[in-house]
Amino acid sequence: MRVVIAEDLALLRDGLSRLLRAHDFDVVAEVADPVALAAVLARQPVDVAIVDVRMPPTFTNEGLVAAIEARARRPGMPVMVLSQYVEQLYARELMLSGSEGIGYLLKDRVADVQTFVDAVRRVAAGGTVLDPKVVAALLARPERREPLGRLTPREREVLGLMAEGRSNAAIAGKLFVTDKAIDKHIANIFMKLDLPMDHDDNRRVLAVLRFLQDSAPTAP
Amino acid sequence: MGVSPPLERGLTPLLSQGGRRKSPAAPWSFIVGYVSAQTRTARGWPWYARWHTVLRFEASLSAAIGLAAGLGWAAGGGYFWPGWVWLGLAIPLGLQAAVRWGLRAPKGQRFLAMHASLSFALGVMLLLIWLLGGARYFWPVWPIASLAIVLGVHHWFVRNRPNAREQALADRVGVLTRTRRGALDVQAAELQRIERDLHDGAQARLVSVAMSLGLAESLLETKPDLIPGLLTEARSTAVAALDDLRTVMQGIQPPVLADRGLEGAIRALALDIAVQVTVTGGLPGRAPLPVESAAYFTAAECLANVMKHSNATSAWVNLRYEAGALSVVVGDNGVGGADVDGGTGLRGVARRLESFDGTMTVSSPAGGPTTVTMEVPCELSSPKT
Repeated sequence: MRVVIAEDLALLRDGLSRLLRAHDFDVVAEVADPVALAAVLARQPVDVAIVDVRMPPTFTNEGLVAAIEARARRPGMPVMVLSQYVEQLYARELMLSGSEGIGYLLKDRVADVQTFVDAVRRVAAGGTVLDPKVVAALLARPERREPLGRLTPREREVLGLMAEGRSNAAIAGKLFVTDKAIDKHIANIFMKLDLPMDHDDNRRVLAVLRFLQDSAPTAP
Repeated sequence: MGVSPPLERGLTPLLSQGGRRKSPAAPWSFIVGYVSAQTRTARGWPWYARWHTVLRFEASLSAAIGLAAGLGWAAGGGYFWPGWVWLGLAIPLGLQAAVRWGLRAPKGQRFLAMHASLSFALGVMLLLIWLLGGARYFWPVWPIASLAIVLGVHHWFVRNRPNAREQALADRVGVLTRTRRGALDVQAAELQRIERDLHDGAQARLVSVAMSLGLAESLLETKPDLIPGLLTEARSTAVAALDDLRTVMQGIQPPVLADRGLEGAIRALALDIAVQVTVTGGLPGRAPLPVESAAYFTAAECLANVMKHSNATSAWVNLRYEAGALSVVVGDNGVGGADVDGGTGLRGVARRLESFDGTMTVSSPAGGPTTVTMEVPCELSSPKT
């Protein structure tokens, strides 16, 4: 799997590269700014780009802008955005560029190497991975958000894990219940939120995310 | 009519007998002329401007009495007694003219001008009395000298008093001293809090990571089966340290504020709050960073209060830049009863705003709704592209 890494801090860039190579990724390029990233993406096909949010020249959110631009040039281009902090606002902006093949994680998550590597693979395959912190914010204070209030706490837990991009089996493993129990929870969630049931994991997650974005407090 | 207020004309007609109006003949002509110049309607002018009507009547009456006395003396002859009558009539008129002249002086010098004109009027009267009394021993020198001394002292005092501009500067320095102290206090408290957070949080956790790794290293040969557990522990502690650092950084300067400016940061903040928050308005450019930061934390504190105390189901934030001031208004539909002095939160942000000459007003009647208005004078940088 061909990966490009865009990260301006050499220490983290090397660390990421070493970690991915150790897990049989083909790191085709390591760049330090958005311009170089765009050049690499124009030059050769990659399966996924791993992009830091804060990069030169202004060290604000160039990475985010670069990711959105890359996806504008090549719709559905898988991008994993990493940051020292996460904002719902940025998650929404990323999702506006289409929510397939999008990952948005705190850099801290890299420490859990296996989960991180899985997440990169899932994004490369067109999946969606949102940081648990973003998901937690989406699900916060359910009693004040009408449709979420209809879910039981367990169902909300399952919903959150779905939004993080986990498969049924992974959710079942994490909650120490059977796959069948998870299926039942998910069916209930879809019914309570009036969403069409779908058996494709990824489309199901997207439906839920879109629903959450619409129902979350919005800033017009 | 284009007529200046009578007080601006002041005493000029009295001294110069301007030819613009017909005046009766001497000896009262100057007073009558002066008064007749003041007969225009004075609605809207201060109380003393309406005084001229009374004065005019007084002057006419005095002129009549004075003339009668003069005629009486001319008919009877003898000792020139009408001088005393004229003096008696002139005293009230002279005093009033002196007061009017004094009132004409610009604000701030009016008291001294009044003092001077009254002293002058008194001096003239004393001289007249002396003249009418036969002009023998020049006794008026004593009262006139004492009047002059008192006036001189007054003048000296006024000259050495800080004038209005200096007074304003002194007041400003007072405000700046107070707000600077406030800003330094806030800053010192912030630094102390940050130091404590780092010490108890990230630093302690990193010590623990180092200890776990050191222990793992030492067990490499003897008890390798313990190592995976130690590594897992070290990793999760390192992640917790990162979490702590992020929280501390968020408290110093939220990264989204640097990325997106005040408007974007407040929109991001609104998303993280479970109450429905509507953000309206916008800014044509970016405020200086310290102002943005103060405004952001103030808005954050207000929204936190909405969550904690108001029981509101929705809130709103309005951003504006008007007449050289950044204005942020936060409102909710909750129960009201918020009080700046009630908690440390709002008072803290109010003090923070003060160091930028900013103001915060809270309207929160019991039963709601609550509106907090912040205004900070500042200049915006280049318009956003």
